[in-house]
Amino acid sequence: MIRRYVALIRNAWLVDLQYRASIVLWLLWGVTEPAVALGIWWAIAGDGQVAGYARADFARYFFALMLVNQLTIAWDSWYLDGWIREGELNFRLARPLHPAHEAVAENIAYKARTAGMILVVWLVVSLVWPAVRLPLAPGRWALTAAAVLLAAAMRFFISFTTGLLAFWTTRATAIMELHAGVSLFLSGRLAPLALLPPAVAGVAALSWFPYMLAFPVELLTGAAHGPAVVQGFAGQLVWLGVWIAAYHVTWTRGLRRYGAVGG
Amino acid sequence: MGRWEDKTNAERGRRNAEQQGEVERRGVLPQATPVMMFRVPRSAFRVLAALWRLNLAEELQYRANFVASVLGTVFWIVTALLTLAVFFSHTTRLGGWDYWEVVVLLGVFNALTGVIEAVLRPGIGRLAGEVRSGGLDLVLAKPVDPQGFVSFRRLDIWRLTDVVLGLALAGYALHRLGRTPSLAQLAAFALALASAAVVVYALWVVLMSLAFWFVSVENLSVLFDAVYEGARYPVSAYPDALRFLFVYLIPIAWTTTIPASALTGRLGPEIGVVAALVAGVAFALARLVWRAALKRYTGASG
Repeated sequence: MIRRYVALIRNAWLVDLQYRASIVLWLLWGVTEPAVALGIWWAIAGDGQVAGYARADFARYFFALMLVNQLTIAWDSWYLDGWIREGELNFRLARPLHPAHEAVAENIAYKARTAGMILVVWLVVSLVWPAVRLPLAPGRWALTAAAVLLAAAMRFFISFTTGLLAFWTTRATAIMELHAGVSLFLSGRLAPLALLPPAVAGVAALSWFPYMLAFPVELLTGAAHGPAVVQGFAGQLVWLGVWIAAYHVTWTRGLRRYGAVGG
Repeated sequence: MGRWEDKTNAERGRRNAEQQGEVERRGVLPQATPVMMFRVPRSAFRVLAALWRLNLAEELQYRANFVASVLGTVFWIVTALLTLAVFFSHTTRLGGWDYWEVVVLLGVFNALTGVIEAVLRPGIGRLAGEVRSGGLDLVLAKPVDPQGFVSFRRLDIWRLTDVVLGLALAGYALHRLGRTPSLAQLAAFALALASAAVVVYALWVVLMSLAFWFVSVENLSVLFDAVYEGARYPVSAYPDALRFLFVYLIPIAWTTTIPASALTGRLGPEIGVVAALVAGVAFALARLVWRAALKRYTGASG
């Protein structure tokens, strides 16, 4: 299995290398939304504070968000939608390897490259802009790594499962966009959850959205500590389990339905 | 019979061309066309009308897309309004603008999004792929201006609902502001909005022209999306350096901030004229870049 993964990741890495300029553009597109949000909060905060967040706190939050988002983002629903609609799933099913492994390998290669780029930029920026510097605390970094891994796994299963809806509908990617629209608020992409109206934050706490982004980000910036950390990891594990179950149901039912087109 | 018809048509076409050439030689029409100008012959409009008629017939087959498009737009507008609500729950002004003023700007943003999605993305947005595959050969072989053809060849009619909904949103926000724009303000707004469309178009041309230098990049349109993201809020909300960038270098301030300011009366009606000048300059520069870029094209298809 490990040798297979090495081969798959190497393959994905080389494909990405071919399209490295395209990947830089996707990366640029990925960081503009948090950059614009940071610009607006920067203006609102002025020289004061917004719900305990000063300018430097916003800067740290959104820089961490850029990194975590890039490490956990999953494009799989778009790929799967295409695979299913155009029959490209067929030869993948004929292989002695579940198609999800190829998708996971692609994710690893893509994320290693883009997150690496963000880290380099972050290091350079932090040399001239102390606001975005993070303290060197190995414990916190290790916890963040674990949380990022769990969040990436969950976002992968969300994206993969939603893509599988293409077995039933031609608008699977529209559903994913809807999910992205809701996650703008509930996962903390627009603002730290503490800045949302209490009712909205309450709804968010009952959903999987905060565990996709807000929790790992707040671990990294140090905003989450004590019982919040334990509660965060528990939430991540529960929701990851729920999404894996959802994936299982969709995959088995969908395959039974699948009448291959083309090939 | 068919061949015969073809022949007569071809002959008629040649005769027409000769006649037109004669007219031009006699100097009835301006002889030398400056490099910077579009020479827009009447036939260009006929070509455009024919292309768009075909598109329309095609799109009318997929009426469910109309519903999907409207739902998508409504969802987008609600998301944008909620975003503003989050910002304004912690402040009363954004870059000096109050809530409903920013909503006017959102309406303008949405109207321009409609123009982008209906015409620009399905037209010039496909350029990068065609440069790579050599499909542009087919465009260059046609006896029309390539920039004009590439830019306006498609019309995704349903997305024009974004323009209607965007303007309606701007109108409603204006009503909530309790302002009735004067005729001069309305005229300035119309001029500024048209200029904004030209500026957006010029941005697309310049960014997509990069495809001639970076052939392997197929998602160049993403670059526009990244830049345009900054146009969702008034430029006065950004730090000085960014504001300078958006006004003078990547002129997205002229796409939403200026038309919205003209409508709410934040800027005087004379801004319409300035916007038109900016649009003219942007268009001319884009035309220059396009020409320089096209020279690099060597074709790739076999």
